[in-house]
Amino acid sequence: MARIRSASWEVRSFALASGVIVACFLLVLLYLAQATAVSASGYEAQRLAAQRDELRRQNALLVIESARLESPARVEAEAQRLGLVRAATIRVVAAEAVAAAR
Amino acid sequence: MTATISHTRLRVLFALFAVASLVLSARLAYWQTVGRGELLSRATDQVRSDLIVSAQRGVIRDRNGAILATTVELRSLYAIPAQMKDPRGADTRSAVAAAIAPILGERPDVLRAAFESGAEWLFVRRRLPEEAAARIAALHLPGLGFEMEPKRLYPSGSIGAQVLGFVNDDGLGQYGVEGRYNGELAGAPGRLAVTRDPANRELALGLRTEIAAKNGDDLALTIDLAVQSAAERELAAAVEREKAAGGAIVVLDPRDGAVLAIASSPTYDPARVGSANAEALRNRAISWTYEPGSTMKAITIAAAIDKGAVTPTTSYDDVGYTVIGGRKLCNAQCKVYGRTTVTQILARSQNAGAVFVAGKLGAPDLNAYLGAFGFGQRTGVDLAAETGGIVRPLAEWYPVDLGTISFGQGLTVTPLQLASAYAAIANGGTLYRPYVVASRRAADGEHRTAPAAVRRVISEETAATLRTMLTATVDEGIANAAALSRYSVAGKTGTAQIPSDDGRYVDDAYISSFAGFVPAVDPRMVMVVVLERPQSKLLGTVPAMNAFKAVATDALRYARVQPDRP
Repeated sequence: MARIRSASWEVRSFALASGVIVACFLLVLLYLAQATAVSASGYEAQRLAAQRDELRRQNALLVIESARLESPARVEAEAQRLGLVRAATIRVVAAEAVAAAR
Repeated sequence: MTATISHTRLRVLFALFAVASLVLSARLAYWQTVGRGELLSRATDQVRSDLIVSAQRGVIRDRNGAILATTVELRSLYAIPAQMKDPRGADTRSAVAAAIAPILGERPDVLRAAFESGAEWLFVRRRLPEEAAARIAALHLPGLGFEMEPKRLYPSGSIGAQVLGFVNDDGLGQYGVEGRYNGELAGAPGRLAVTRDPANRELALGLRTEIAAKNGDDLALTIDLAVQSAAERELAAAVEREKAAGGAIVVLDPRDGAVLAIASSPTYDPARVGSANAEALRNRAISWTYEPGSTMKAITIAAAIDKGAVTPTTSYDDVGYTVIGGRKLCNAQCKVYGRTTVTQILARSQNAGAVFVAGKLGAPDLNAYLGAFGFGQRTGVDLAAETGGIVRPLAEWYPVDLGTISFGQGLTVTPLQLASAYAAIANGGTLYRPYVVASRRAADGEHRTAPAAVRRVISEETAATLRTMLTATVDEGIANAAALSRYSVAGKTGTAQIPSDDGRYVDDAYISSFAGFVPAVDPRMVMVVVLERPQSKLLGTVPAMNAFKAVATDALRYARVQPDRP
């Protein structure tokens, strides 16, 4: 009987120790998985931030190019190149006259 | 065969393990407590990256939101010659030089020499145009890399350069708005300390200490890019046609002193400041003075009318000259006009008449009014490097000075001062401090510049009288070339001699100018055009008036100002 009890205690101890080890292993695995996921997310966030910065830079360059193209001096030079001339007179219609005609 | 282990041996083995465990635990405890700081410091040093985060310099816009100056990061190309090798280890420096030379517009041998200079690391070209950088990046050449560097860009090129100023290689604003508002535009850099992996990627779980950079404030100017472009175009054309030494155009809104345009010739391209000479960097509208000549007669007459010394109909008998302080001062070409009213003095620009009016007013009052109109002192415009001109103290006036100053000789002014004085006549008698920055957008909101009325210089009635007289000067008088179709124009021409270093006047060289405003009845813009040493000499006021007309025509159309005449 004593041998049987001793064997049962050893089995329980072994099972307990194994359980603790497995639990610890799982906990460590969980921690590592989370740390890896956070780390991977960090790298992804960085990549996206870099992409955002580059898009912002490209956008700024496009805004500057747009401003350059809209510059009155450039528009005038381009108009002259196309042979356009200034209107000698511009007919101004007074608001009162328009209102009276309605 | 069964081996048995004695209890004694087991105990010894256990004791050994226990001691070893204790030693290891003690060591571990030491590194986790006492030695933790040292260990952490050594580990962090290997992966820590401590950076200065530069602040974004503020954007400068015109009054309608058009970008005049902004900063963008451009790619600078660098080379590490030792890494210029193909997969087999063969040297590729010549091949790399040959591949990028046409993109950079450089000779391959020059690049190759740079690669073979022995430098471990060198910039090949800084702040490349984006297209060139993209083409080089697409080649995937070994030993080449890019680094971002901020670059100040001016989309309109040299338009507005004298107002804007520029930013030097150290990132400091110089001249103009960039110089005057450098503190606000520059912002304050931040710091970023992070841990990085061997691939130089930031670790999400690592250390991160950040002091955010404070970006510079954005500025909205009173400058109107369309008016500015017209002013620079007409000034450049007039200077070229007249082979003038230089010139300036100032356009103000007389209602509040807002500067609509400042053009100065010669000028420079802010993107290529290095190639500009010192004279081109000087803004002639605020940093250069000249004797204004007859444009000053309007000021003398305004003072005399305001003081009650004369009226527009007060008359005198003109004999072509006058004598004051023992000196004979003539009309232009000593022309005799006979009986002349004060209105005609202005319309015909008679020097003797101006002396007559000044004589009625007296030197103390003329000096006081000159000060009240802002001559001899800086206007206070918010631009760097303004000068104040010279009006000598009354105690230093010789008797003849009352005469010469009455028609604009013997004192110096800046074009901006003259424009401010004419703006006071145009707006009903109030002198405003000219200003260029309309608003500043900071992190705490938008700060708008309130127009600053410096003082009342002349009464409403005097101002109205002067507007009528100056309108007659354009409609029927000497400034008729400045008349515009369907708009009333008020203004006065000025031709002044140029003082030389020996105290005399330079022979046959003049400064020609026109100061005026439009529409004369309800003025929307005051403009001063100045040409230095025009080829037309005494007739140099004609190109000045032509420039006035051209700029005013564009500006009135652009601002959709209704004509005030049929």
